[in-house]
Amino acid sequence: MQCYVCKQNGVDRDAVGICIVCGMGLCSEHIVRSDVEIQEGGYPFPSRKLKTAVPRILCPECAKAFGGR
Amino acid sequence: MDLLKRSLAEGIGTLLLVFIGCGTVCMLGESGDLFGIAAAFGLSVMVLIYTLGAVCGCHINPAVSVALCAVRKFPVKDTAAYCAAQCIGAALGALLLIAVMGMEALTVGGLGMTAPAPGVSYFQAFLAEFIGTFVLMLVIMGVAVDRRASPGFAGLSIGGTVLAVILVIGNISGGSINPARTFGPDLIALLFAGSDALWTTFPLYAVGPVLGALCAAFLYRGIAGRENI
Repeated sequence: MQCYVCKQNGVDRDAVGICIVCGMGLCSEHIVRSDVEIQEGGYPFPSRKLKTAVPRILCPECAKAFGGR
Repeated sequence: MDLLKRSLAEGIGTLLLVFIGCGTVCMLGESGDLFGIAAAFGLSVMVLIYTLGAVCGCHINPAVSVALCAVRKFPVKDTAAYCAAQCIGAALGALLLIAVMGMEALTVGGLGMTAPAPGVSYFQAFLAEFIGTFVLMLVIMGVAVDRRASPGFAGLSIGGTVLAVILVIGNISGGSINPARTFGPDLIALLFAGSDALWTTFPLYAVGPVLGALCAAFLYRGIAGRENI
């Protein structure tokens, strides 16, 4: 699989990951890896943040869309 | 979130429960509209669970906190702080009723205090409180504590249970099923009118619900299995 963003720019580059949201193949230059904090609990236990964050890989477009949250 | 903030949220939750629930008793008590009173308590519990559930757990009931602690689902230190916060919140809620409604809230409405109905023995009232809280805690274990429970339905189920239980036992024991809900009005009635309810009837509303909740929690754990709660 090749990087979709690079392909749009006329460049062939191998993908190293896939966006979890849209499925776009991404090279190391366009991949956006972020750590998502997870809350557990809720009635009747107070919510608390898990010690370990969950890693997530996104493309630049999806990362921008989620960035507002 | 630290224990102080969570306890504060728990106190506020219990304050609002007493203000709305016992306030409704003050307003509707003479009309004998038990459904209105039960609905006020049930709806309060429901919205408070959805509002404060993620913040502090929103037990707003010492019997629930103690039972969760007994089955090792809630730390002992947190339980002590929550119970204290719930009792303080309930007392402030009763005080707020006097501030809003005047002394009539106490002299006419009785601040929504609970007492066995005329002709009802202490044992009958104790049993009613025991069974009422047993049902409440069983529902909490099933819809909220059990890992297999569908998320999002706890408030609706538990609020509905509170409503139904008060409809059944309201005219027997007063339908407290919550030691803090009885402690707050009893304490304020003692301070403002020298009421002796805190010594005479409150023990019934403390022991009955706590024992009922403990029995339900252990029974559910025994039935569902430790691995599921």
